[in-house]
Amino acid sequence: MIRVFVVDDHAMVRAGVRAELGDAVDVVGEAPDVPTAVEGIRSTRPDVVLLDVHLPGGGGLGVLEALRAELPDVRWLALSVSDAAEDVIAVIRAGARGYVTKTISGPDLLDAVRRVADGDVVFSPRLAGFVLDAFSAAGAAPAAPVEEATDPGLDLLSAREREVMQLLARGYTYREIGSRLFISVKTVESHASNVLRKLQLSNRNELTRWAATNRLL
Amino acid sequence: MITGTGAGPGGATIGIVTTTVPVAPPRPPLVRPRSGRAIAGVAAGTAVHLRQDPLVVRVAFALLATTGIGIVAYGLLWLTMPVAAPGDEHDAEPPLPGWRPQGARQWIATVVLGLVAASLLGQLTRWTSRDVVLPLVLVGAGLAVIWRQLDTDRTLAVAGTRWTLAGGVLLGGTGLVFLLATTGQLANARNGFAATLVLLTGLLLATAPLWRRLLDSRDEERAARIRSEERAAVAAHLHDSVLQTLALIQRHADDQQSVGRLARSQERELRAWLYDPKVVREGGTWAGLVAGMVADVESDHALVVDHVVVGDAPVDEALAALGAATREALVNVAKHSGVAAADLYTEVTPERVSVFVRDRGAGFDADAVPSDRRGLRDSVTGRITRLGGTALIRSAPGEGTEVELALPRAVVSGQGREHRSEERARSGAPRGSERGAR
Repeated sequence: MIRVFVVDDHAMVRAGVRAELGDAVDVVGEAPDVPTAVEGIRSTRPDVVLLDVHLPGGGGLGVLEALRAELPDVRWLALSVSDAAEDVIAVIRAGARGYVTKTISGPDLLDAVRRVADGDVVFSPRLAGFVLDAFSAAGAAPAAPVEEATDPGLDLLSAREREVMQLLARGYTYREIGSRLFISVKTVESHASNVLRKLQLSNRNELTRWAATNRLL
Repeated sequence: MITGTGAGPGGATIGIVTTTVPVAPPRPPLVRPRSGRAIAGVAAGTAVHLRQDPLVVRVAFALLATTGIGIVAYGLLWLTMPVAAPGDEHDAEPPLPGWRPQGARQWIATVVLGLVAASLLGQLTRWTSRDVVLPLVLVGAGLAVIWRQLDTDRTLAVAGTRWTLAGGVLLGGTGLVFLLATTGQLANARNGFAATLVLLTGLLLATAPLWRRLLDSRDEERAARIRSEERAAVAAHLHDSVLQTLALIQRHADDQQSVGRLARSQERELRAWLYDPKVVREGGTWAGLVAGMVADVESDHALVVDHVVVGDAPVDEALAALGAATREALVNVAKHSGVAAADLYTEVTPERVSVFVRDRGAGFDADAVPSDRRGLRDSVTGRITRLGGTALIRSAPGEGTEVELALPRAVVSGQGREHRSEERARSGAPRGSERGAR
């Protein structure tokens, strides 16, 4: 059974998440703010932490930064109503393995928790859109080599990764992407986690700031 | 009652008289202009007020200065005349660039000023000993430079202003030292200066907390004011939007569908207000168009559209048509798919604008298109192909439908680089080969 810890400052949301996850997982604790969350996660050592991006006392980012190095086995899934790109990118770069909005349905949330617990990456269509936007807007100048890049480094998405992201943004599941591109689900997953790694490690400054600029090409 | 208002014969004649006399516009106020100043703008401002040529006024001031009255009058006016409000200047006189004269008029002015200065010097030497004149001139020049700098709106942050100020202080200081030295007062002044310095330092130290508190409270006050203004703006917006919606929701509490619709449209509106860039909110771009269209479709039909927009471009005719086709595709999902959710993904690249509308509904067999699907064929496919774009519909019974629309930016931006509209027509080719064609 997956052990889950829920961090959110709204009791209603915590109760709702608990109800939606139901008996499929073991909710080992809840916390409404950063200090309580840090303490609770330290003592319970859950498999997955559902982390609200906006929290009193430092935000989800504060919890992540306090515990990320200390508890490398804990997986983090950001859960938020915020669609501000800066917030999303910030938690992903701090180490979250995925991002889902609070409007997600119960089964989808459960699926996301399971996938994160298995070490996979969870891209909502919106997050995939953010990624495409970030990498294409910031890399506007060298747009041409993006397509046939063989060794793209951290700042560029390979053509395949871009395809996977586009299909994710179009609402395809990993399985559907696999059959569409004639590759296995495992390969899709590895593309997704590669993209996440690039998103976390790329030290391009624009990445965190691109959303602030107006997005005209 | 009506006759009392001055409509009698007398009133009428007065009316005629006043119309025949040209109504003099009010005299411009006596203010110092922001530009076009020679020293402090006193002469220029006075000239505007008197509706005279500034040169005349300047010469008059200069001539009066030889008797001393001009200087006193100039100084008094400098102190009392307010500076013109920005953008409120009556006479757009070309600004005098520093001391460099331009054209004959300004040469004349310079010569007159030179003559006046010489005669002033002569007067001064007559009044006092010859040694005092140079220091006095230095002090005067230093003061003029400092005043001139501090008088304008330029902040001290500008490097040039600071250097000029330092120069003025140096000039004035040198003059003062000379003055004291020539009159033999330097030693006395030094003692007095030291005593004053000690006193001032003591005073400053003693009252330091007071200054500190004054500064702090001023900052706090300003911060509080900004905060309260922001809060007022947010409160106004929330009142117009969220509170109204909450009131509506309370009234329709038993109608589940309309409550859901209200909540969702309000959520979208608030989210856009909080997070979307200004250009998107105010429309005129593709992202804004898509957001508005999704909002419309959601409120008209029982459909929840998850839309993701990558990139953006200004809306033109072709993009507006693409938007209309996209709306048609979404409405089709709402009407025929049998599900209440759709994914909309649109991407703007330098080459093309693509739109993907996907649902997980009933789907249909593309070969046996039912008659009610002609709408999709005509209004979506037809519209896009007429614009030189492509429309591709993937569907199978039970597997949902995906409509893919693409419009080359060559059409959009009119740069005529790409015209491969038919090339990737309605084959069922996977996306990979399409991308490779770029």
